Amino acid sequence: MSYIIEGQKGTRHLLMGNEAIARGALEAGISVAAGYPGTPSSEIIENLAKVSKKEQIYVEWSVNEKVAMEVAAAASFAGLRSLCVMKQNGVNVASDFLLHLAGSGTRGGMVLVPCDDPGALSSINEGESRHFARLVEIPLLEPGDFQEAKDITKWAFELSEEIRSLVMVRSVTRLSHASGNVVFGGLPKKKARPYFKHDGFILDPMEGVVISAPVDYKHGQQHEKLQKAIALFEDSPFNTYSGPENPELLIITSSASHFYSKEAIQLIGGQDRIGLLKMGTTWPIPPNLMEEHLSRTEKILIVEEVIPFLEESVKILAAELAPKIGIKTFFGKRNGFIPMVGELNPDLVVAALSRILEIDYEAVPEDYSKRAEELTLVGAPNRELTFCPGCPHRASFWSIHNVLEMDNRKGFVCGDIGCYSMAVLPCGFGTLKTLHAMGSGTGVASGFGKLTQFGMDQAVLSVCGDSTFFHATMPALVNAVHHKSNITLVILDNSGTAMTGFQPHPGLPVDAGGNDVPIVDIPSVCRAIGAKVKISDPFDLQETQETLLELLQEEGVKVLVLKQICALSPEKKGKKKYKMSVDINVCLGENCGCNRLCTRIFKCPGLVWDKEKGAARIDEVICAGCGVCASICPSGAIEKKEAA
Amino acid sequence: MQLFGPNELLEDVLNKDLCIGCGACVGLCPYFKNYRGKTAMLFPCTLPKGRCYAFCPKAELDLDELSSRSWGVPYDGSALGNYRDVMIAKAGDQMPKGHFQAGGTVSSIMAFALKTGMIEASVLTDRKGLIPTPRLVTSPEDVVTCASSKFTAAPTLAVLNQATREGYGKIGLVGTPCQVMSVAKRRSNPFGEDDFKDPLNLVVGLFCTWALDTRRLIAHLSSLIDISRIQGMDIPPPPSEIMIIDMGDEKKEIPLEEIRPLVPLSCQICPDMTSEWADISVGVLEGSPELNTLIVRTEKGQQLVEEALKEGYLVVEKIPDQNLAHLRIAAANKKKRAIKRAKEEGMLNNPLGEKRSALRIPTEAVEKIIESN
Repeated sequence: MSYIIEGQKGTRHLLMGNEAIARGALEAGISVAAGYPGTPSSEIIENLAKVSKKEQIYVEWSVNEKVAMEVAAAASFAGLRSLCVMKQNGVNVASDFLLHLAGSGTRGGMVLVPCDDPGALSSINEGESRHFARLVEIPLLEPGDFQEAKDITKWAFELSEEIRSLVMVRSVTRLSHASGNVVFGGLPKKKARPYFKHDGFILDPMEGVVISAPVDYKHGQQHEKLQKAIALFEDSPFNTYSGPENPELLIITSSASHFYSKEAIQLIGGQDRIGLLKMGTTWPIPPNLMEEHLSRTEKILIVEEVIPFLEESVKILAAELAPKIGIKTFFGKRNGFIPMVGELNPDLVVAALSRILEIDYEAVPEDYSKRAEELTLVGAPNRELTFCPGCPHRASFWSIHNVLEMDNRKGFVCGDIGCYSMAVLPCGFGTLKTLHAMGSGTGVASGFGKLTQFGMDQAVLSVCGDSTFFHATMPALVNAVHHKSNITLVILDNSGTAMTGFQPHPGLPVDAGGNDVPIVDIPSVCRAIGAKVKISDPFDLQETQETLLELLQEEGVKVLVLKQICALSPEKKGKKKYKMSVDINVCLGENCGCNRLCTRIFKCPGLVWDKEKGAARIDEVICAGCGVCASICPSGAIEKKEAA
Repeated sequence: MQLFGPNELLEDVLNKDLCIGCGACVGLCPYFKNYRGKTAMLFPCTLPKGRCYAFCPKAELDLDELSSRSWGVPYDGSALGNYRDVMIAKAGDQMPKGHFQAGGTVSSIMAFALKTGMIEASVLTDRKGLIPTPRLVTSPEDVVTCASSKFTAAPTLAVLNQATREGYGKIGLVGTPCQVMSVAKRRSNPFGEDDFKDPLNLVVGLFCTWALDTRRLIAHLSSLIDISRIQGMDIPPPPSEIMIIDMGDEKKEIPLEEIRPLVPLSCQICPDMTSEWADISVGVLEGSPELNTLIVRTEKGQQLVEEALKEGYLVVEKIPDQNLAHLRIAAANKKKRAIKRAKEEGMLNNPLGEKRSALRIPTEAVEKIIESN
């Protein structure tokens, strides 16, 4: 049972931003929540799933973000409140439905929560979801602290029902994954009974057909909804101002940048010179509110992460308001005062403030940074990103890499999204050569595989995880089969959405709420699509390599399912299959014949190079006992014994 | 002999189409593997000196040094190398009949050597489909199962490495000139080890004009016929100029001019036609496809041949002068072509200490070879 439902109304709790968002949705009385796992968003659905039985809500990890949004929309169409959650690029996946949903409108309150990842801490992109709100014309709210994460989420449902439109509440990593105090509101008791009314007047938004056409009529309605939203935004308590009546400089900010701005003003001692307007309703921006605040001063700094979204919105309004408020001087991303790339922090905001206000402030003295850098180089060991000890991916990529080298046609692997994306790095022997969106590996491979007709003779492989297979690989595989592309797809099936925390997927017998559900069998799906399918245990290096070599010689679409459960899986409970040891008398060490293959190339963190003994050693504490290193040792020095 | 490591091997041999896939570097360490006739380096190895380079027949092959170490004489570029005797040979009555190429001399010698215990195991080359596959054979009866011409290079020496690792101390080898040259390099104790032991007790070399790139041959033949039907292949001695593909009920003739482009650069710089560093060398006798030419080079080889004759495993006779003369011309021509090509490619006698060289041959020998007729 999660503590997010244990506190009474009015009590104060330390909550992670994602927990606060979940609590807000519960306080709003949602009935349905759907999402696809993705850092930094995953804990919202996870927390709702934990309380789903108690709170009588339906929670699912959908097959992908588009389906998640569709599942949540159905609840709204039937008059229930629903929440839909994803990471930033998930919105891209859902965006086609999103556009049409924005046009058709919603009934029961429906809120989309994308969690963006500025600085790409857990992503391979710095995608922005905010511009989707403007693109498809739905209201956008951005919580500026943890209390607001809950309160704005709750209010978003009211707004959604007020204007019958989907509402976006956008979070970022530093809000979703940081924690702060939240005062709870009450949890509603009664839930509505779902009923989808579809036989009223066809254009009736509550009783007719749910559709985005006739487009000019529906699009016109959408703009009326936005005007209503603007009117509500003008008086929203989520837009707050603090600072002098007429500051020298006005900061306009939102989301986590609010924290950095507040701290920066304090650091620089600028409380008397700088005003801070924190916006909670960031699209469309209410013009009267903006007129009031822009009139305070001549200089305005906009502080936000990634795309200058707020900056552009404010500038458009400032141009329109110019006859009333005069010409302002703006600072922000577009003139280089705030970086265009990466996460912000208080120091970066301080740097902008000290430049604009000509205040001498050095967040970190230069010689200190220099000295720190020097010391880091000599003092801190170089720790690369790597797969965990006992990770099946290390063994899988060992085999894939070796097979491609043996095949000797400069073959390559089109990568995909998962822990295994790290196979672009030395831990995966640099095996992945392209890496884009979920499912793109096989789509790109499908294209490469058609280039044989122009004389390309490189072996083309793709990889995907078990969850990614269902998410977006299936259509690409169908495409490859249908168009007779020559590819080999290796499915790295580790029995769960491992990277984001073992969320279930259609290949597993349990759903988000812990209910028994039927399995969709990956090999059977691939066979039905028309691919030749082989299954191997990646820990059996020889069989895996022989099978893959064989598949590479064949024409058409081949699938190799490498099935081995993730080393961190809760099911494994940290149990070791083998007890590993190294016979230092047999270990060849740095000599010709080995040259430290296990600790120099294979590099499982469970293997340590003992310089003094000139031999490899097992780190008992972290060795997962998978036994794979015994198969790579050329001299048989690494021994495995069945663990007791 | 100049010794380098795997990085240089990659640069000098693998990346320059000089690797013939003999298998000398395969199985010594986990880094080199051979698959479908091609040797690949799986991961970078950082050692400055390694057996891979030391044993490679295409890396710093210094014939003068090899000759001094093997025969105790300088390399003089003579057409057939050092030898004691040349004769015509074929399998004797005691050799069980089998499907062997030409006179069956090689199979007979190996079977006899295994029978007498001169060798405990023999490294031979079998074939899986069109892919030559090395095998370690320990019984005389199994020798004939490997008897047939391959025409493509095989990683035979990988099995020698395996046999050595497994502890065999008296190994026999049947190899092509490149494989025999590699073996000569390793038998010369290139690292000057105090406890050096030569696990080989008999090296039988084959005559070879060139070999074909396995993968290119498969690709070429696949475009002409259903390769799963191939039962054997043969290139009759000149002047026939064809390769015959045996498909059981049908034979397909392919002009050699179609086949020659499949000869890798590696073979085009090879100066050895008759496996000059073997104990015994064997080839087909020109004009008599049922007989072999046998060159006895070492004392050990001579003893074996004499015993095999006595025991009825071999039948020999004197080689006609004309055959010997033709053999010399063919071998000299291969040397000449190789030197010319190696020079063109910048792979011959590069200045020591400045630039590595695939091949090193004393200047006098080079001149002698170029001027020979």
